[in-house]
Amino acid sequence: MPTFEPVIMKGIGEMDLADIDVYERGGGFSVLRKVMREMTPDAVAAVVTESNLRGRGGAGFPTGRKWSFLPKDGRPRYLVCNCDEAEPGTFKDRMLLEKTPLQLIEGLVISAYAMGAKQAYTYIRGEFLEGSRIFRRALAAAHSRNYVGDRILGSDFSLDIVVHRGSGAYICGEETAQLESIEGRRGEPRLKPPFPAIAGLYGMPTVVNNVETLCYVKHIVDRGAQWFAKIGPEKSPGPKIMSVSGHVRKPGNYEIPLGISARELIEEYGGGLLPGRTLKAFQPGGASSAALFEEDIDVAIDFDSLAAKRTMLGSGGFVVMDDTACMVNCARTLTRFFEHESCGQCTPCREGGQWVARMVARLEAGEGSEEDLRVLNVINNTITGTNLCPLGDSIMPFLASVLKRFPDEFAAHVAHGGCPLKRMAAVVA
Amino acid sequence: MSDVKMVKLLIDGQEVTVPDGTLVVEAAKTLGTQVPVYCYHPKMDPVGLCRICLVEIEKTPKLQIACSTRVSEGMVVRTMSPKVAEGRRGVLEFLLLNHPLDCPICDKGGECDLQDFTMEYGPGASRLTEPKLHKPKRVDLGPTIVLDEERCILCRRCTRFDNEIAQERNLVVVERGHSSLIGTIDGGDYASYFSGNTTEICPVGALTSKAYRFRARPWDLAHADSVCTQCSVGCNYRVDARFGNVMRTFTRENPDVDGGWICDRGRYTFNYLYEPSRLREPLVRRDSDLKRASFAEAVTLTAEKLSKAAAAGRAGIIGGGRLSDEEAYALQLFARKVLGTNNIDHRARLQRYASPARFGAQLRDIDDADLILMFGAITPEQAPILDLRIRRAVARRGAHLVFVGPFKPALAVPFHYIEYAAGAIGDLMDSLADAVGRGSQPQGPFATDLAGRLQSAAQIVAVHNGRNTVAAGALERLMETMRGAGKRAGILVVGSQGNARGAEAAGCVPNLGPGYAPIAQPGLTTAEMLTAAVAGKLDALYIAGANPVLTFADGALAHAALENVPFLVVADQVLTETARYADVVFAAASQFEKRGHVTNLEGRRQAFAQAVEAPVGVATDAAILSALAAALGKRDELFDDPDWLFSRLEAAERAAKPAEPLARPKLDTLATPQRDALDVQRKTFTVIPVPKLYAGGGPSMHDPGLAPMRPEPRASFHEDDALLLGIAQDRVVTLSGPNGSITVAANVGTSAAVGTVLVTADMPEAPVNRLLDASGTGRVTVTPAPLREKATA
Amino acid sequence: MTPERLARGQELVARYPKPQSALVPFLQYCQEQDGYVTAQAMRDAAELVGITPGEVESIASFYTLLFKEPVGKHIIQVCRTLSCMLGGAEDLQSYIKRKLGIGHLETSADGQYYYEEVECLAACDRAPCLQHNLEYHYDVTPANFDQLLESWQAAPPQPVMPAE
Repeated sequence: MPTFEPVIMKGIGEMDLADIDVYERGGGFSVLRKVMREMTPDAVAAVVTESNLRGRGGAGFPTGRKWSFLPKDGRPRYLVCNCDEAEPGTFKDRMLLEKTPLQLIEGLVISAYAMGAKQAYTYIRGEFLEGSRIFRRALAAAHSRNYVGDRILGSDFSLDIVVHRGSGAYICGEETAQLESIEGRRGEPRLKPPFPAIAGLYGMPTVVNNVETLCYVKHIVDRGAQWFAKIGPEKSPGPKIMSVSGHVRKPGNYEIPLGISARELIEEYGGGLLPGRTLKAFQPGGASSAALFEEDIDVAIDFDSLAAKRTMLGSGGFVVMDDTACMVNCARTLTRFFEHESCGQCTPCREGGQWVARMVARLEAGEGSEEDLRVLNVINNTITGTNLCPLGDSIMPFLASVLKRFPDEFAAHVAHGGCPLKRMAAVVA
Repeated sequence: MSDVKMVKLLIDGQEVTVPDGTLVVEAAKTLGTQVPVYCYHPKMDPVGLCRICLVEIEKTPKLQIACSTRVSEGMVVRTMSPKVAEGRRGVLEFLLLNHPLDCPICDKGGECDLQDFTMEYGPGASRLTEPKLHKPKRVDLGPTIVLDEERCILCRRCTRFDNEIAQERNLVVVERGHSSLIGTIDGGDYASYFSGNTTEICPVGALTSKAYRFRARPWDLAHADSVCTQCSVGCNYRVDARFGNVMRTFTRENPDVDGGWICDRGRYTFNYLYEPSRLREPLVRRDSDLKRASFAEAVTLTAEKLSKAAAAGRAGIIGGGRLSDEEAYALQLFARKVLGTNNIDHRARLQRYASPARFGAQLRDIDDADLILMFGAITPEQAPILDLRIRRAVARRGAHLVFVGPFKPALAVPFHYIEYAAGAIGDLMDSLADAVGRGSQPQGPFATDLAGRLQSAAQIVAVHNGRNTVAAGALERLMETMRGAGKRAGILVVGSQGNARGAEAAGCVPNLGPGYAPIAQPGLTTAEMLTAAVAGKLDALYIAGANPVLTFADGALAHAALENVPFLVVADQVLTETARYADVVFAAASQFEKRGHVTNLEGRRQAFAQAVEAPVGVATDAAILSALAAALGKRDELFDDPDWLFSRLEAAERAAKPAEPLARPKLDTLATPQRDALDVQRKTFTVIPVPKLYAGGGPSMHDPGLAPMRPEPRASFHEDDALLLGIAQDRVVTLSGPNGSITVAANVGTSAAVGTVLVTADMPEAPVNRLLDASGTGRVTVTPAPLREKATA
Repeated sequence: MTPERLARGQELVARYPKPQSALVPFLQYCQEQDGYVTAQAMRDAAELVGITPGEVESIASFYTLLFKEPVGKHIIQVCRTLSCMLGGAEDLQSYIKRKLGIGHLETSADGQYYYEEVECLAACDRAPCLQHNLEYHYDVTPANFDQLLESWQAAPPQPVMPAE
């Protein structure tokens, strides 16, 4: 049984943390009080930097360092909370939004204070209608108790939080696309440089942080940088929520200390595989991550260990595929995803992504050819690494990894005119 | 510019030094290396979409795009290497994947960047094993353009042009991902005055001109460097001809004039040359009808009549603004040396001055201006490419645009509107000059605001249309005050015929010779000639390239004059309203069929080359005049050789040494604008003629390419007045003045000022000049037509 | 633009430093009322934030939750991404399409149902899942879908795409 004490997931499922009285009784907003009373913005930022917290949205960029890029030029600064969770296999931010919105608000206000932002935006994915309602109610409650708004808790710091709903576009999870979307345009990623810290929302210095990241900020400020830094590997410390799904007995969100093994996550947290099944593949960090396999089960789950295995921790969307899963079918699902979500700006992602999706679809339907396999085996060179934003680079990793590991499965689709496994979509018991 | 930081870097092993901030793709150009690009365009912001410009930059693991990477000290760039080759091949493969194999039927073939880069960098064969995906082909995008969505590589140059340069934002990208398409709202028209530019910047054949579709291959085309004279900006362009016929025109970038663009009127006005309505031989009136005649016959008849009239001092010449500098010089030479008269005037429209006497600005001054004043000039209609500079200055540099005039125009960028009655602008200028110069209180609240803007601006450009001479003088005084206050200030005069300034400078005015040299005994102005004709005091009139019946301020006067004058000769390209009155019509060559120079509104003289031969029977204006001179026994006074004419013109200018303040063309008393008080009872309305780019009665009216864009003549009322009159949008109304009436459909809105009615100018089917006097103003009563009449579409 | 719509539009504009940011929220609001984004709504939006109607169309067409045509009274969006596929989503999809007689992106002939297969809805631990008028339903199978359908039919009408 896992013994790690939840941090940001604490109390979820046990009490209604969206109720401000409940939240306060459990110590909610005490950290904000402490910050307003005793800490300067620089002090807060220093703690976060010292903790080595890395962004929990997918890119894993050190949060403190991201904040430090804001120029001291007097221009207004914005904090954008990225709640556009859409990475397949990831469902932690929606949970945090719906179940513990006040914790998010507390983290948001503390972070905004640290970076001197007077206005913050919470970009909530369009599909999260209920979550946005819950968040608005929580925001109103927080406002009424002076945790947000004018002169917070009697200090000189004021913060206005605007709730902005998305309208159906995965690419808006990319930070510059999100800024475009907030500005009321197509959610198409911008060229970088300039980076958002210099020219972000409305051209002003902006930081975009993930929901989970902002929640951890509160706890880091509360318990200290060392507390956080000591959890897990030095360069990839702290707890992380892993969203475990697919062919496991207990899919769900689990807050783990980074550094545990995949085996532990699957078996101790996820309840292990379904009866009679064997592990075929797992994606550790969302649809953009390359798959790992049976032989990788002991890999440590942290940013650097997974990167060393040429995959990624990403958002922590951990999907398990057992021997009933057809890799071609999985690849078809994921390449179709990227084709649908491509914004269409740049050539390799738009044209190449569509071509790959078509080829894999034909392979799955039994209409593929040797030529398709030949192309898919080399196309990585021209699709990956040539795009404007990471989406284009995310098209191939899973496909390339399973092509390499299970070439016979793909070849069999060609030879047999269809899936030899008779693709079984197992219904999770 | 010694304070610009320079950066040294290596490109393909060669050292190059460029200013800091230069894009790698531009740095490579200085070495003569063309990195392939699609989405990148030097006039627009880099977007980094197409990914074809991948290059290798040492110390960065992935290939970088040259179009948006800026140089840095010591950077090492390789524009070609195995990795780069693979990257480019990959991008091309992706672009070609669903690209239709249209080359045999695609206009772009032979000048297509997709063809060219594929030959250099692309794969030789397709690896697609399934049918190509289809998208809408042959989309009718509006009056000028056809869009092929399958050929489109979604580089977005066209939508970015519409956004950044034209600032109209009607051409947009719709949908997303692979389903992305170029489109307009609800599939409506892309009806921009600048649409043709997109066919040039489109790297493939996705956007093609209706006027050129399927008509030629680029390798068949002969090129002539020319200058457009559809307006006074003088955009440089290239005329492409195939086997002696003009096929299309193409921009020819002059950064000081056109910035690399041209409007659709300039681009597409040439197919009229091949219409039946184009005059192909002289006409002579016999038995009250104009009948075909030989050139010799026309010359003999004309010479005989002109000679008699000239001898009695009763001949006059109107024209010059549509001719080249050489021919304008020839025209005044013909007047003065052959006919012995100073009755010559190019001004057949509402414009009185084609130039400012002092403080002439350059088009480039608009780029740096922080305040742009427009006095009555409607630059989007009268000088579209000039307007593009204004749009950019306003949108990019935050320049303030102020329009002062009797109605609120539709401009593409935000502006400050100051309503000021026609005729009263002179007072405003004086008041402003005083306010800035002497700190006195300007009259009127808006004047205070304007004075404030004038005070805080560092560079000011004022644009007016040369119609109001009092205002022109007052504006110059204002500019003088600005300069005195240490500001850079200048004036541009727009409107009127393309070479009006050239004609003015060549001496096509009654009181000035070439180079603005004063003439001791000035002749008659256009208005005076026409008045004399009505009074039976003029016996012959020669009109070259002018259409006063349609365009002269007092249309009724023009009509009466030409009816009355015993002998009328008209030299033009088509049978205009004016030519219909003629006794002799000469078929004049178009600018495509001759060479010479023209002078734009800045006073910039530009050379144009001949593109095609004129049909037999069509003669250049110079040839007509020289033949007439010979027939009048003055052969040696005037030769039709453009070089001879040009050298004489230049010599005359050198002798006259024109300098600011330039002498002013003679005015006539009739031309003094009246200060017009509005009729509070609204029994009558002040008529204000409004220019529209595609209006007009000359060649442009007969050009099939421009036909779809031809506006419908309209009378625009303020909605309060419409209420009083009991009319709604599209109701047909008759406007009646003392000398004539017209019937048009009404627009109702808020652009017209109360008490005024805006009428589309230069529309032969509803000539507004029947309602105006020689000063260009008029009063009308308004009678709504019975309700069962519908406005014609 | 009706006065009510203008008033709401201005409220939305007031939330942001730049008016164009209110564009999508305004379209969402209009869609909630009209059932889809009408041409009039796009013109209203253009006027409200000061851009051209073409730009509004360009922006609106980018987002999958803004519908340009009427899409019925029940928008059923079934997830089709990895975890749901592993959980049997394809069988669910086939079942629903057969049951309602429509395919992906289609509206039923009686104008009641619109069916769409969408990407990951962030409910992977309770796969297969779907949204009905943006309301989540988890662990949906061919076995329990009928019941769900009946509950929707019995419920009072509601906006297909609520705005806030």
